[in-house]
Amino acid sequence: MIEIENINKIFNEKSSEPFEALKDITLHIAKNEAIILSGVSGSGKSTLLSLIASLDKPSSGKIVVDGELISKLPDLHASHYRAKSIGFIFQHFNLLEALSVEENIIAPLIPSRLDMPTIKKQAQESMQRAGIAHKASQTIRELSGGEKQRCAIARALVTDPKLIICDEPTANLDKANSLKFIEILSTLKALGKTIIVATHDPIFDSLPFESRVIKMEDGRIVDE
Amino acid sequence: MHNNAFFHFLSLLLFKQKNKHIGAIFISVIIIFLLSSVLFISSSLQKSLQSMLKNQPDFTISRLQAGRAVDTPTEWIEKIVQIDGVSAVTPRVYGRYFFAPNENSFLIVGVDFFDEQSNRSLQELMETTDLKSFFAMPSMLVGEGVQKFMTAHYYSDSFSFKLPNGSFKKVAIAQQLPSSTNLIANDMIVMPLELAKEIFAMEEESITDIALNVPNDAEWDTIVGKLHLLFYDAQVIDKREISKAYKSLYNYKGGLFLILYLITIITFMLILYQRYSMVYSAEKKEIGILRAIGWSIQDILKLKFYETLVIVISSFILGVVLAYIFVFIFDAPLLQEIFLGGENLANSVVFVPTIEFGILGSLFLFFALPFFASVLIPVWKIAVTPPKEAML
Repeated sequence: MIEIENINKIFNEKSSEPFEALKDITLHIAKNEAIILSGVSGSGKSTLLSLIASLDKPSSGKIVVDGELISKLPDLHASHYRAKSIGFIFQHFNLLEALSVEENIIAPLIPSRLDMPTIKKQAQESMQRAGIAHKASQTIRELSGGEKQRCAIARALVTDPKLIICDEPTANLDKANSLKFIEILSTLKALGKTIIVATHDPIFDSLPFESRVIKMEDGRIVDE
Repeated sequence: MHNNAFFHFLSLLLFKQKNKHIGAIFISVIIIFLLSSVLFISSSLQKSLQSMLKNQPDFTISRLQAGRAVDTPTEWIEKIVQIDGVSAVTPRVYGRYFFAPNENSFLIVGVDFFDEQSNRSLQELMETTDLKSFFAMPSMLVGEGVQKFMTAHYYSDSFSFKLPNGSFKKVAIAQQLPSSTNLIANDMIVMPLELAKEIFAMEEESITDIALNVPNDAEWDTIVGKLHLLFYDAQVIDKREISKAYKSLYNYKGGLFLILYLITIITFMLILYQRYSMVYSAEKKEIGILRAIGWSIQDILKLKFYETLVIVISSFILGVVLAYIFVFIFDAPLLQEIFLGGENLANSVVFVPTIEFGILGSLFLFFALPFFASVLIPVWKIAVTPPKEAML
C-alpha cells in the first residue's frame, strides 16, 4: 500500500545550518498492516508521519500510496488525498477549541460535496465508533484529555480513511485511557485499516493485534 | 464544496468565535459611522444651501473706492432699472450690529418692504406678513439665532439698538424668519430700509448695496459687463460666487474628516494585518488544523473571504444606519457644532435627508478593499506554509 523509497528530509536546507531529519528512508507497508515507529524524541518519527500524510514534502525520494505519487502532489491534490485517505491523530489533538465535538468532527467533510444531513449522519457514526457521541454538543474546552483523544479519533475516522496515522497518541493520556485507545486501534485494525503509530510509550510493546515495530534513530531506520 | 455545509460551518465559526471579531466590528462601525455622519451632514448642508441660494438675489452691486467699501448712491438704481433683462432691483442696507457685552453681532438687512424683493424667500415672507401692524411701530423680522439670543438676554418682544448719537431705538420683534433659512439667516435681522439707515446713521440718499435679478441665466455675463461699463467703481457679486464660498467651507471641513478617516483606516488595517500575521496566532493554528484535515488553500481563502465579507458588510450597514439616525433623526449633536460652530450665534439646523449613493459606494470600496487585503494576504501566507508548521 505504501512504498517509501530513499526519502530524505532536510530542514533549513538553504541556510548555513541545515538539519537532516530523515536520512535515506526506505520502507514498505502493506494494506491492513500495523506499524509502530519507535525511537526517542528527535529520531525523525513525526517527520516521517507528516511526509506520509502529505503535511510536508520530502527533500528527495518518493512516497507512493496506492499507486499515487504523493510526495510530489500539488496542493489541491494533496488536500484531497489528506481528506480522503488519511485519518491523523495528533499528540496535542489539534482540535478547534471554540467548537463542539460534533462541529470538530464534521470539519474534514466540509470541503467534500456532501450535503449537511449526510455529513451529520457520518459524524454521528464516527462519534459512536470512538465512544464520544454522548459529548457531541460539548465544546472542546469542557472535555478531559481522554475525551479530547476520542474526539480526535472520531474526526480522523469520519472520512472513512484507509490509513490511520497517530503521532504520540498516548503521550497526554493516563494508563486507563491509553488502554482504551489501544482497544480502538484494535477495532480499526479489524475493520481493515492500515495503522501507523509513532510512539515511545512502552504500552505499545504488547499489543493485542499483530504489528511490526520499526526502530528509528537519528533520522534512520535502525531496526525492523 | 457543498455550499449549505460550507455556510453552516462558516456561521458556526463566526458565531462561536464572535469575541474574536467583535473588536474589529466595533472599530469598523465607529469609523464608518463617523465618516458617514460627516458625509451625510456635508451633503445635506450643501443641498439645503443650494435650494436656499436659488431664492437669493442673482446679483448684488456695491461701490468700492480704492478697494474700500463705501456707501452706494441711490441714483444707481434708476440706471440699473434701464438695463434690459434686469428685474426686482432692490436697494439694501447691510451691516453688522455689535452687541458689546457678548461680542456677538447681528446682520442687519434693511429693505424696502413695498418693493418687489429680489430675494424670493423674503418676497414670500412679505406676502404673509401683516404690513399694517408691522409698520404701526418700528419692527423687525429676526432669524432663529437672533430670537434665541435676544430671549436669553431678556429682549423677548423688542430690542433697543444703541444709535451712533448715543440714544436708543426700541424695535419690536414682529416675526421669526423660517427655521429652514437658518443656514444663512440665523443671525439676520430684516427691517425697513429707513430704520436700518437710522441705526447705522446713514445719509438719506445712501444705501450699502443694490440687489437685482436676471431671470435669463445666459445673460448674466452680459449684464455684469454692462454694470461695469455704467459704474467703473462697482463691485458685482453673483450668487454662484456665494455658493462656491459656502461649498468650499463645507468641503474643507469634510476634507479634514476625510484625512482623519484615512489615517484611522490605515492604522486599523495595519493592526488587522499584524493580527493575522502573528507567528503564534490562533488564526494560524486554526488554518493549520483545517489544512491538516484536508482543506485546500482555496478552501481556506474562501472561508476567510466570506468571514471577512460578513464582518465588512455588517459593520458597514450598521455604521451607515447609525449615522443616518444620528444625523437625520437626532440632528447630529456635537458634529453639528463642528460644522456650524464657527458662526457668530449658536445655530441649529434641521438636516434634510440626503443620501449620495455614489459617495457611499466609494466609501464602501475604500473601507472593504484594504480590509480584505489586510486579512487575506496574511491568511494566504499562512495557508501556503506546510500545515505542520502552521499548527505549531
